[in-house]
Amino acid sequence: MDCITISKPAASHYDSDSDMSDVETGTTSSGLNASVVTPGELVTDDPVWMRGHGTYFLDEKTYSSVAGTISRVNRLLSVAPLRGRYTPETGDHVVGRVTEVGNKRWKVDIGGKQDAVLMLGSVNLPGGVLRRKSESDELQMRNFLKEGDLLNAEVQSLFQDGSASLHTRSLKYGKLRNGYFVNVPSSLIVRAKNHSHQLPGNISVIIGVNGYVWFSQTQSANPSYNASLNKQQAALSSGSSAYTPGQGSVSITRLEEESSWEIYSDVNDDIKPTVRNTITRYSNCIKALAHCEIGITEQRLVAAYEASTAYESAGALVEREVMESIGEDIINAEKMRG
Amino acid sequence: MKLSPAERSYLHDSLALQPPIRPDARSPAQFRPLEASISFLPSSNGSARIRLSDGSECIVSVKSKVVLTANVSSLILVDVDVSGYRDDSNFVSNLNYHLQSILNSHFPTAVLRLTSRYSFKIFVDCVVLLHTSYPLGLLSLTTYLALKTTSLPKLVSEVNDEEVEEQPTFSDDWDQSTPLIPTNSTFQPPLLFVVAVVGDNVFIDPSREEQEVSENGMIIGYETQGVISPFNNISLSDREVKGMKLLHVIKAHLLVKKCGEEVLKALNSVAKDEGGNAIF
Amino acid sequence: MSNIEFYSAEGLRMDGRRWNELRRFECRTNTHPSSSDGSSYVEQGNSKVICLVNGPMEPENRSQLSTQKATLEVNLNIASFSTTERKKRLKSEKRTQELITTLERTFEQAIVTKIYPRTLISINIHVLSQDGGLLASCTNAVTLALIDAGIAMYDYISAVSAGLFDTTPLLDLNALEENVMSTLTVGIVGKSEKLALLLLEDKVPLDRLESILAISIAGSHRIRDIMDKEVRRHGKVRLSKSSS
Repeated sequence: MDCITISKPAASHYDSDSDMSDVETGTTSSGLNASVVTPGELVTDDPVWMRGHGTYFLDEKTYSSVAGTISRVNRLLSVAPLRGRYTPETGDHVVGRVTEVGNKRWKVDIGGKQDAVLMLGSVNLPGGVLRRKSESDELQMRNFLKEGDLLNAEVQSLFQDGSASLHTRSLKYGKLRNGYFVNVPSSLIVRAKNHSHQLPGNISVIIGVNGYVWFSQTQSANPSYNASLNKQQAALSSGSSAYTPGQGSVSITRLEEESSWEIYSDVNDDIKPTVRNTITRYSNCIKALAHCEIGITEQRLVAAYEASTAYESAGALVEREVMESIGEDIINAEKMRG
Repeated sequence: MKLSPAERSYLHDSLALQPPIRPDARSPAQFRPLEASISFLPSSNGSARIRLSDGSECIVSVKSKVVLTANVSSLILVDVDVSGYRDDSNFVSNLNYHLQSILNSHFPTAVLRLTSRYSFKIFVDCVVLLHTSYPLGLLSLTTYLALKTTSLPKLVSEVNDEEVEEQPTFSDDWDQSTPLIPTNSTFQPPLLFVVAVVGDNVFIDPSREEQEVSENGMIIGYETQGVISPFNNISLSDREVKGMKLLHVIKAHLLVKKCGEEVLKALNSVAKDEGGNAIF
Repeated sequence: MSNIEFYSAEGLRMDGRRWNELRRFECRTNTHPSSSDGSSYVEQGNSKVICLVNGPMEPENRSQLSTQKATLEVNLNIASFSTTERKKRLKSEKRTQELITTLERTFEQAIVTKIYPRTLISINIHVLSQDGGLLASCTNAVTLALIDAGIAMYDYISAVSAGLFDTTPLLDLNALEENVMSTLTVGIVGKSEKLALLLLEDKVPLDRLESILAISIAGSHRIRDIMDKEVRRHGKVRLSKSSS
């Protein structure tokens, strides 16, 4: 196998498409596809519009402040920039990395303009939901989450300046382990109902809306966790026929307790080489999709994985040509399906 | 680079396996794909730029100046500038030192001689615009390309100036310029490779995350004949470095010997390319 | 210098240009998509400048923050091989510091900083080659990189240099011309005649200033049009890709 490949810079954006599209000089075309406006360009002089992001007004006239496309929704006029950092919205499922441990809160990097905030009161602490937050919790914050830890969370709300406040108050959120982190441009992620997926090959993926992606071994593959879960379930079901007060509740708390401690563990489970190989293949596939600037969805990721099986070693997927060929396959397959 | 303990142990365990699994599935001897351009700086005698897929980028320029041979201590001067680092920092000084010393010991300065009194002094200026992993390998490859594509003006005045001292004059015709390293020469500039050690395995061109979890690292020189000095160890992560075994040294030696030839071939074919000299 | 005619009787300069002609201006945006939020590359004559912008982002240290607006940080790296004669420059050199301060002040006004409070916008400029008009090329590169990063700006800031040879104003000076005459660098806001940047190196007679300003403004407008064309072209390519 080749040790090294050196190619010429891909001036692909520059040369290939520029000659084909007719370049208008400065005037905005009112064609079907949205036209580009640039900073300082007059968008409208109608004062009735409400000005949204990407615009500013001067003397009743609205100008664009970014290079992007105009969006007119109801009475709101805004310009969406062509490129930009991730902007959080309430309800977004994101993956983040802890950067700072502070006064009753953590600062989490989610790839946005500012770090997000995760309040101590917004996480599940070991001992159950109804546990009172004590002072020792504040001092022990690093035992739960420390600098460098990865977690997935939901954006609970936004501050005035646009930065996010996160929460992990659900068992599907929390510290991440047993896997590998990949960063792709946030503009390629489509907001969907569900961002956690099960992929063929016993892999789970969390595609954060912010472009931070986490591949991991599917949790149920873990025998010890399964065993404890079964034990709890068995206890619950056996208790249903001859109910004694307090019996069910004891096992529920213990279930919560166990899963909570597991959630803050730093120790990985045993991961077989086949699973590791699958994870590397998937991560190379998502990087290929990102390189081809294709919007990332679960279907496309699985399609890319299947297309990649043509290459025996996933290491071939780091080459630009291979990435582009896989991207083309996916686009063509979608076009054919109509 | 910040990694969580879980990520660290996942990466470390994958790399320590037999056979190892690198996070991007490369083989231990596989480099990340590179983009290279040459001869884009008309005011320099030679220039090269290499960019990796993760954005790491390095530009090297080679300029020449006529000097009195007796007045200078060395005919090659390397200067490294890494974006975001002070020029007097340890990081930059070390990179500078490695590049300078390998060129000092493995470069035929005889080709720089003009007359008995005068010589060319060449200045190799490297700018690292962005780096994710230790940039020495990247610097070395770019420097190689820049030197390979450097051309010097052709001397038209007398070569023998023992009797009459005469300032060397050169032909204005750039087509007459001579390459610093002639095409028929057996000499190729030396290369430096960075190797990471995890468990019993060694890896070439380690990425940033591989470096973070590495237990040790090596800097190994290479020339057409084979592995040359330096053969140093280096700590690639800011964690505690574990000791090295003889096994690591032998494996690394074999690895570089295997890759070196292919890397030289790939670089030489880029250098020969006469195509358009745009920087991007 | 006797064999170089800076302005001949026929009205031609040393490189064959007329008094109000710009040098070749080429620019590209998004040259470093994976390593920075915004990037650009500008060639003005033989000057070559790369600009990389990161941000708005969380700064390294809290002390840099302003709670009302974004903080700008410009790093100017002039390569030692950028001039014909190699010259190693220290980062703390006065000239470099002056250019940095000028650029920071100019763009603090041009960027809508109040919508990015508590953030840092880091601008890294790499000068690979300079042949006159350094500040102008840097300004143009920064404008393009900021637009590429999607950072809100009131308008383009396009810049050009101009000088006075005897009584004739000359537009877009190269290095040799800059050595013998006073240089005025001007940064214009969009299509207006408002100045965002004005730097005069050495002296000019006050009654000649207006003529130099006039051609500078005209030259800046032309550069703005070229930059705008490139931004639109790139925008169209992007949109057509994303819709496919």
